[in-house]
Amino acid sequence: MLTIRNASFAYSQRRVLHSVTMQVEVGRTCLLIGRNGCGKSSLLRLAAGLRAPTDGSVQWCGRETSAIAPAQRARCVAWVAQRSMLAIDVTVRDVIELGAVHGAASVSAEELLHELALEPLASRRFHELSGGEQQRCIVARALRQHPDGGLLALDEPLANLDPAEAVRVIQALRRRCRKGGVVIAAVHDLALADQWADDIALLDGGRLLAFGPSTSVLQPSTLSSAFGCEFLARSGSLALQLPRGA
Amino acid sequence: MSAGRSTGWALIALGGALCAGIGARLLLGRDPSTGNWIVGVPEAEIALLRFGAVQSGVAAGAALGLSGLLLQALLRNPLASPFILGLSAGAGLGATLAAWLPIAAAGAAAAFVGPDALLPGTIGAVGVLLLVFLLGRRGGVLDPLTLVLAGTVVASMCGAITLLVQSMMPPTSRGELWSWFMGQVPELPRTIPFWNTVAMLVIVLLVASWKARALDVASAGDDEAASLGVAVGPLRLGLFIGAGALAAASVALCGPIAFVGFMAPHLARALLGGLHGALVPASAVAGAAILVWSDAIRQGIDFGSGRLPIGVLTALVGGPVFLLMLRSARLRRGDWSC
Repeated sequence: MLTIRNASFAYSQRRVLHSVTMQVEVGRTCLLIGRNGCGKSSLLRLAAGLRAPTDGSVQWCGRETSAIAPAQRARCVAWVAQRSMLAIDVTVRDVIELGAVHGAASVSAEELLHELALEPLASRRFHELSGGEQQRCIVARALRQHPDGGLLALDEPLANLDPAEAVRVIQALRRRCRKGGVVIAAVHDLALADQWADDIALLDGGRLLAFGPSTSVLQPSTLSSAFGCEFLARSGSLALQLPRGA
Repeated sequence: MSAGRSTGWALIALGGALCAGIGARLLLGRDPSTGNWIVGVPEAEIALLRFGAVQSGVAAGAALGLSGLLLQALLRNPLASPFILGLSAGAGLGATLAAWLPIAAAGAAAAFVGPDALLPGTIGAVGVLLLVFLLGRRGGVLDPLTLVLAGTVVASMCGAITLLVQSMMPPTSRGELWSWFMGQVPELPRTIPFWNTVAMLVIVLLVASWKARALDVASAGDDEAASLGVAVGPLRLGLFIGAGALAAASVALCGPIAFVGFMAPHLARALLGGLHGALVPASAVAGAAILVWSDAIRQGIDFGSGRLPIGVLTALVGGPVFLLMLRSARLRRGDWSC
């Protein structure tokens, strides 16, 4: 279980998270939504233990995540960046295998190549791939690291993915949840979030504005206040209301 | 062809290039009266000198190649090398100060002891590296070009202080030091610098091979590496000291030699790809091959003032390669492939 209690965080003097409190139960997917710069990525870094909160606590299975040694933490927590900074010229298979250096996954690179339809790209150079292909490759690396019952923190894992690939990645992440894991991810597609999430955390200016099942959070009035634009509820789903003349 | 097989062929090719370079250095000579090349087995006395030069070239070249690889990997900067980041200049300054202080203490009549001091050289190299590392950060992130600029400026300052110290030395010591500063592969390597270089090379080679997978992971940036289980801070500190010690050892043995530490990892990467398990030994072999070949080629280049100093030759070849890399669009977007 991921437990975040009164967690605040600041880069130097700039405070980006203010007393966030939330809890994600085992087997659930929690999606973070909010405007650009609202603190989603910072909250994911705290969840993954890459930063320690300046106040409050972030715990995974009762242990302060940032206090766990990196090699040990890699066996229970995996993190996917918005964009990989990988600087070496290696193949897709090599990139996925980096997850196994300290990870504890039960699946092999070959199984992951199959699961995320990366087999045709296995011997291609990582830097020659499109943005979406690179993103799938980095998700596969996190899954190669991820043990059953672990935490997956993903920063915009569906960025640059076409709909079919997005569905494939979501299915792979759901399978990890069913095996007792927890997924926490930042997304921008609210319609997709509505279908995918068990819980949604809506952030605004570093504060947790709403947290709970999508039916309670994804309300036009709540979203309008957080995003500063109008939303309509249309046939059971949300739609962005464009200003007249736009 | 499988990856393992192509890696094997690439390593054989690099080893072959080194062996060919050693053969060239041992068998090629130049007739001082006619200036023509002479190919053949030399007399025993000359053979011993050439063998000494091969020993020096292999040890210093391998040290520079490995030092360059570690710097490029840990700084995530393909432009990094001991010379470009000022490590060689820092080591030179440390060694010069170590040579000058006894003279200053005992008076101008004291004999010049030579730039043998490995510890002051290592302190100079590592000190410069830490300074450049701090200066090369913009907004808390290492910026490749800022890092190179910081290295260039710090190297210039170290060079200026070194010149100042040299100007205060007796003329006889100054002449010896100047020729050392242009780079020389000694045919009679001094025992301490040579064995220091070999010892450093073996130690750092073993540690870097042991940490090869961690180096692969560290290339993904500090946060990604930490999430994959590698704490980059301690790894960077440990291998920075190793890279600094290698640079200092090679400078103590051969003087500052430009661009070998820059070119060797790129040559190895072009043949073997980006994984450090193969790159660590390959960069050392590539560095040794480049330096031994350069030393063999310079035997035949004389502009009337003796053989071309090796530091001049490597700078003339390495400089344009560096500029090509600097202009490369692939490099600017963070792609290291050659």
